[in-house]
This record gives sequence, C-alpha cells and structure tokens, in this order.
Amino acid sequence: MIPEELQDQAALYVLQTLDAAESASFENELTRNAELRTLVFEMREAAADLSRTAPVQQPPAELKRRILSEIALEKQSASSTGPAKRSRIWLPWAIAALFIGFCGILTVDHFRLQRELATARGSDPLSGATLVTLASPNGELLDAKATIAWQANRQTGVITITNMPPAGRGRDYQLWIVDAIHKDPISAGIIIVDSNGVAHFRFKPDQSVAQVKAFAISLEREGGVPKREGPIIMIGNA
Amino acid sequence: MATSQEMVDQEMLAQAARGDQQAFARLYDRLSGPLYSLAVKMLGDVNEAQDALQDVFVQVWRRAANYDPAQSSVFGWAMLMARSRIIDRLRARGRRLRVVTASTDDNDSTSLAIDASAVQNAADTVGRNDEAMRVRTILDKLPADQRQAIELAFFSELTHHEIAAQLNQPLGTVKARIRRGLLKLRERVAL
Repeated sequence: MIPEELQDQAALYVLQTLDAAESASFENELTRNAELRTLVFEMREAAADLSRTAPVQQPPAELKRRILSEIALEKQSASSTGPAKRSRIWLPWAIAALFIGFCGILTVDHFRLQRELATARGSDPLSGATLVTLASPNGELLDAKATIAWQANRQTGVITITNMPPAGRGRDYQLWIVDAIHKDPISAGIIIVDSNGVAHFRFKPDQSVAQVKAFAISLEREGGVPKREGPIIMIGNA
Repeated sequence: MATSQEMVDQEMLAQAARGDQQAFARLYDRLSGPLYSLAVKMLGDVNEAQDALQDVFVQVWRRAANYDPAQSSVFGWAMLMARSRIIDRLRARGRRLRVVTASTDDNDSTSLAIDASAVQNAADTVGRNDEAMRVRTILDKLPADQRQAIELAFFSELTHHEIAAQLNQPLGTVKARIRRGLLKLRERVAL
C-alpha cells in the first residue's frame, strides 16, 4: 500500500506541479518502488484522458504541411552534417537564444505584435508571415525592440526596430538569418537606424533561405561584412 | 496490457524514431486533433495553439527514440509533453487561464453544449467527441471540489500552491483533492 502522502506526490508529479527538488526526490523513490511506478503510469493515463474534455478542434491542413516540411529539413540537415557538427555550429546561437529565455524578455503578447506589424506593413501587407521578436541576449538593450515578419515563400521580410541606440562611429548594425541548412548565418543587410532609434524596412537575404531558425542583429564594421564578426546584440528564434 | 490502438501507436512511433516520415505523418493524423484541442483550450488563441502544436510535434520527432512504453501510452506521452510545452508558453507570457474557472456551478452544462455543437459541425470529429463525452461524464461524477481542483491542476499553469491560494483552501486539502480525483478518474476510465 502506498502511503497517501506519496500518492499526493505522485498526482502532483504527473501533473508536473512539483518543483525541481521535489521532482528529483520523487523520481528517486520511483526507481525503487514498482508499485509507485504502476500508480504513476495509471495516473498519467488518467491525466491524459482529461485532455479529451477540451472542445474538439481540428488543426488546419497547412499546419501539417509546415510540420512535415520542418521534419524533412531536419532529417536532411542531420544526414548532411551529422549531429556532432551541427551542434557545434549552433552552439553560440543556441546559447544566445537560451539567454533570452532566461531573461524572460520574450513576453510580448502575440496580439500586440500582430497589431504593430499590421501598422508597420502599411499598404503592403505580408500575409501568412512568421512573426519573430528579437531581444538582447545579454540584457543590455532592454528598451530596444525589434520585430520581424518573414514571408518564406517570397524570401522577404520586414523589420521594425524601436529604441535602438546609435551603432557608433565606423559601425553598422547588420541583420542575419540563421538557416537550418546553412552553416553560417546569412546576411540580410545593414540596418540604418534614424536619430530616434527607429528603423523600418523590407529586407531580402543574400542567399535562399530554406528554414529560418532565428534572426539576429550584430554590430559590425561600417558597411557590413559577408560573414558575421561582431557581437550579437539581438536575437530571436523563429 | 496494450490495446490494439496502442500497439499501432507504438509501432508508428518506433518507425518515426527510425526516420520514417510517413509513419510520423500517420501519427500526426492520430494525435494532432486532441493535442490541438488542448492547446486551443489552454492558450485561448488558435495562432499560439498552432505554434505550440508545431513545437510539440518537432519534439515528438526528435524524442521518438526515447519513448518508454513502461512509463506511459504514446497518447499519454505526447499529451503530457504537449501540456508541458503549453504551460511553458503560458508562464512565459504571464497569462492566466481564461477558459477553466470554477466548475462547481452550472458552467458544466454550458461546456457540454459547446462540445455537442462542435461535433455537429465537424463530422470527422465524432469519435473524438464521443470520447470527450465519456471522460466528461466520468469527470462530472466526481465530487465538485475534486473536479474543480483537478481541472485547475490540469488545464492551467497554476502550481498546487497557487491553486490552494486561488481556492482559498489549505495546501494539504488541495493536494488530497487532486490525488483523490485522479485516482477516481483512473478507476473509472479503466472500466
């Protein structure tokens, strides 16, 4: 017989509401208690069944195509580069992106983004665009905000930036696209910020982009560089 | 013992783990509806729900080889993974659930009507709605306090501490209600 206190823990473990220490402690108990493992299995199934009470919805067919395309690209990429090499390529970008998560910067409401982008698009709307918010990976540019609408089928995007400090003498901001099948980020051009710290323009990358993983802005030499050299000052996952 | 559907699910997942995209597509067809329904309910936004679903299925693809049938069914594994990702999104946005509130009043009959309406408009979801009605009926048989606690615990990103605060109940009481509710669900769902 499993004590009630342990059953309580099992229920909360299944519902993922235990904190890290409690989870670790419970998992330790789980490894040596077969009866508890059975209980957890059954509670998991019961919890999963709860989801069936959600009103029935059907995802759009387009979403399946999008997911299958991403899977196909991932498979292709894995077979062409190998997992170890790929992980090295993405490491700095992944670290930067993780930083964003930890900083909790990506909390901008999706609806607000859509409204702002609709305004930014003006008379030239980008239908079906992927929306990406960029943020400072090191928390230095907390006021700066960059939003990108990327239209993969047209290979173009629109970026809107506000509250960006001047790049400085002899420097330019440069936009990069991190693509699933390119080893190095692809340049999407120089960003010219006005005296109010605002930039809004359409961009097109130097090379064809298969699947955007992230957008990033770096600080480069004036005029830009073909391959990123400077520090990443903003980044956002697609 | 695994049901025939569960065995099919496990086989599809095993094939996906070996890189079979067609098997993955079939698994998507089987799981996407329930996972998407959960995402829409919890996030309250179809665009976010679609993003979440994409995240989840990419994770299913990547982690297919790690699936352990001793720990859960394929459906349970994918569903709880989806719920975890959805909660990450809710917490990241600092939102609070809009859909599920106290369900101890007449709201239950309203949600049943919504489910029934959805099914009439979507012939391909009849089977899923039957399943939803079955689980909903079981859920409705639980004592109101247990149902309320368990729905809050499952459909929101609230921790058990936050649930206790929201329901203005001692933490131990809330834990016990969640546990009892889940145990009763387990017994009745298994019948």
